[in-house]
Amino acid sequence: MSARTDALRVLLRIAFRNLAAARVRTAIIGAIVLGGAFLVVLGSSLMDSIDRGMRTSIQGSLGGQLQVYSAASKDPLELYGGLRGEPQLEPIEDFSRVKEVLSRVPNVKAVVPMGIDQAMVATGNVIDVALERLRADVRRLEEGDRSPEALRGYEARKAHVRRLVGLLRDELGQALAIVDLEGREAEERRREWADLTNAASDGFWAGFDGDRYGHLELLENRIARLSMDGSFTFIRYVGTDPDAFFRAFELAQVAKGEMIPKGHRGILVGKQYAEEWLKLKNARRLDLIKDARDRRGRRLADAKDEELQRWVRENQRGTKDILQQLDPLQAEEAARRLRAALGSEAAGEDLPALLARLFRVDDANFDARYRIFYDQLAPLLRLYLIDVGDTITIKAPAKSGYFNSVNVKVYGFIQFRQIERSGIAGMTSVLDLLSFRDLYGYMTKERAAEIARLKGAVGAKELAREDAEAALFGGGGPLEGRAATARIDERSLLEGARAPGPAQDPAARTYTQEELDRGVALNAALVLHDPAKLEATRRDVQAAADRAGLGLRVVDWHAASGVVGQFVTTLRIVLYVSLLVFFGVALVIVNNAMVMATLQRVTEIGTMRAIGAQRRFVLVMLLVETATVGLAFGLAGAALGGAAVWLVRAAGGIPATNDMLNFLFAGPALRPVLGGASVVVSLVIVVVVSVLSGLYPALLAMRVTPVEAMATED
Amino acid sequence: MRLVLAALSLAAALAAPAARALGPDELAKVVRVLDDRQRNSGDWKALCYMEAKEKGKTDVVYELVVYRRDADDKQMFLFTKPKSEAGKGYLRVEKNLWSYDPSTGRWERRTERERIGGTDMRRDDVSEPRFAEDYTATWEGDEKLGVYDVHRIRLDVKPGVDVSFPVRRLWVDRASLNILKRQDLALSGRLMRTSYYPRWRKIYSESKRGEVWYPEEIRVFDEIEKGNSTLVLIREIDLRALAANIFTKAWLESKSR
Repeated sequence: MSARTDALRVLLRIAFRNLAAARVRTAIIGAIVLGGAFLVVLGSSLMDSIDRGMRTSIQGSLGGQLQVYSAASKDPLELYGGLRGEPQLEPIEDFSRVKEVLSRVPNVKAVVPMGIDQAMVATGNVIDVALERLRADVRRLEEGDRSPEALRGYEARKAHVRRLVGLLRDELGQALAIVDLEGREAEERRREWADLTNAASDGFWAGFDGDRYGHLELLENRIARLSMDGSFTFIRYVGTDPDAFFRAFELAQVAKGEMIPKGHRGILVGKQYAEEWLKLKNARRLDLIKDARDRRGRRLADAKDEELQRWVRENQRGTKDILQQLDPLQAEEAARRLRAALGSEAAGEDLPALLARLFRVDDANFDARYRIFYDQLAPLLRLYLIDVGDTITIKAPAKSGYFNSVNVKVYGFIQFRQIERSGIAGMTSVLDLLSFRDLYGYMTKERAAEIARLKGAVGAKELAREDAEAALFGGGGPLEGRAATARIDERSLLEGARAPGPAQDPAARTYTQEELDRGVALNAALVLHDPAKLEATRRDVQAAADRAGLGLRVVDWHAASGVVGQFVTTLRIVLYVSLLVFFGVALVIVNNAMVMATLQRVTEIGTMRAIGAQRRFVLVMLLVETATVGLAFGLAGAALGGAAVWLVRAAGGIPATNDMLNFLFAGPALRPVLGGASVVVSLVIVVVVSVLSGLYPALLAMRVTPVEAMATED
Repeated sequence: MRLVLAALSLAAALAAPAARALGPDELAKVVRVLDDRQRNSGDWKALCYMEAKEKGKTDVVYELVVYRRDADDKQMFLFTKPKSEAGKGYLRVEKNLWSYDPSTGRWERRTERERIGGTDMRRDDVSEPRFAEDYTATWEGDEKLGVYDVHRIRLDVKPGVDVSFPVRRLWVDRASLNILKRQDLALSGRLMRTSYYPRWRKIYSESKRGEVWYPEEIRVFDEIEKGNSTLVLIREIDLRALAANIFTKAWLESKSR
């Protein structure tokens, strides 16, 4: 034993002597090893931190630890959508059965039903929306409601619509002044202008109460269509049991409003979606400018920052949305408040000029103007196109082929803690499961039978495109015949098909847990008691599903995350490939350096061999030398890597500059943590690479004989 | 021998249907006839069946009533079957097309090019045609469509007119002057849809004091999404005057209350 220790001590002394003797060579090899260890420690610490962040984001937002979906689905589940939109999943026809079976699997804490899809939300153009509200008031009045509240609301909306018509007339008047039209188009524009002039006149509004519906029809059909506003937006939602969802996903929180009451229909709109797509554009731009200044250090004075300059310009020019929202009284109040807030220079200015002044911002006045907007103007405005308390209509192509629509109340906005700024999860709204099922429109047996009956009654022949001409026109015969007038009675045709009355109004009902569970879902998230046993539980869940004949595919959160998960996998592959290339090159360089060194030491090695050193001793001597370099510089590199990780962390981490990074970092910045495993792995890698690169020169040295050494000397 | 061949050629030429070009006046007359035949000076109401096939999806089937008052440029679609669709509808007043869903009680403004009920049918497929007013016609040739001799006519939209398709091509039966086939093209010339009209019916109209033609069967094949097609059957026609207030939102809403 002591002989071996002595030998090792001698070997180490020789190694250090040689390393010290050839400082340049040692420095070169050491630098390479050090760099490698540094990269491994820093890279793997960052990747481990991203992995942790991604796990937090996915498991805490939509994923849970495991996901199940129908094994008959052609597409794989992608919780955050794929490159080609939402995956096409076959339905789980009865979720309650899945819940019953999977809840019994050990380590499964919760089974949350889900159905992720996209739908349209009709928002109408501004005049359409105002007219829709006025029509509802008119309907109430015509039905006999003469309460002061109803009359006040009616008059206020009428005044608002009148103001909108006036604004539209001003806008189109300017447009008409600069276009030169001819013929039919000119005639049409002239007619539109005449309609608009009529609708803006005192006479029109004086006669409004005489024929409310007639006046409304004219405004809806002749005037509203002239306002070229957008009329719908898309919304991505997860249909779920909101109660179970909030219990399972710890990051979910109601950012504004309230939770959907248990057993009720409703929607929580994704906060980030609301910010990006539903917020009043001027307010959104102010928020973006503030964020750019406060968090990114950008300045309005920087003329090269085109984005900031554009936002400021667009805010000054685009005040139409604000002007349209205000009824005459509100417009007056807004002007009064802005005059008071903007100082003496603004005295005497009208509302459009005041708004332009408000949005004319620079670095000196931005914070004050931002506050004026939110403190003075915003309370008079509707900041979001869809807001808490609204009832919205969601429409989607159902699986039965028809378009289905549902009305749902917006109870609040939802966000996911830590990843509030990320659109990956933040774009998703939470919809109650029953509304989801109505939109999904699963083809029931009864529906299919009704369709078959309709088709059978008509008995139309099926024709393939390519055979159509021959089948329809190949046989000759008369092309026309005579028909007799018929009596078509829509009343009898519609018999038995009536919209649900108030007693059956689905929005007013409270649903039992059984009603929520019994029905279609597209996938389900499984939350585990002990996430560390993920793989074993996945196998158990799959086995349980198979035994019960549920026909489910069970995947972990990473697989279910689709492209998001693949992004991190790609990053990791890039890191590993880069390191592989680095160490491959390092191996060649170190190997060459050691070969050169060995050739220079032939005499020395020959002499050692002559005085009794065995071949194995020579081999080990050189391997110890390279391993020593690897270990010493590897330790230094790992220490540097650790220091870099600490420095990055101390500096606040790597900022998440976009949505994806915010999601992957599970927060606004990545604060890496030095992993013990990273250090150990880096040392093992560098020592192994060092030893491997020293192996060939060591074998060369081992073959040196005293005779050769002396011959070389000669 | 030469004499025999010449005689045979002459006989063949005489036996073949005349293939001389339609002159501008004749062409204008044909297009006017196409418009006039389907024009009904009064109201128009039809019970229709619509069946849409989409590749890889379940067939969508409707029974619906289509209403027209061409003089006022108004049109309405009221779906009556299947049950889930009953009471839904579209209302067109001039250039506005509204869709209504009784389950939500909401009206939505749609574009005039809306695919009715998500099928390949557009609202102008069952409207009074205005080929002469909206398009400039060009005779492209005479040819055979199956066993029928037809004129092939190209229609290009006139400037400033808003139509579903800027270019259309018609195959018109030379004997009966019924449209048998229609192609709808984009401005780029890309073929979008092909429709066939294998059966026409005529019915006496009191308001017109003459015959009104309508296609009993329309088959629309989508040329972009191959495999998608829509069948429209006009099963019954009622030409009596409709109630004055029928083309209003309130009327359509009342049908599902």
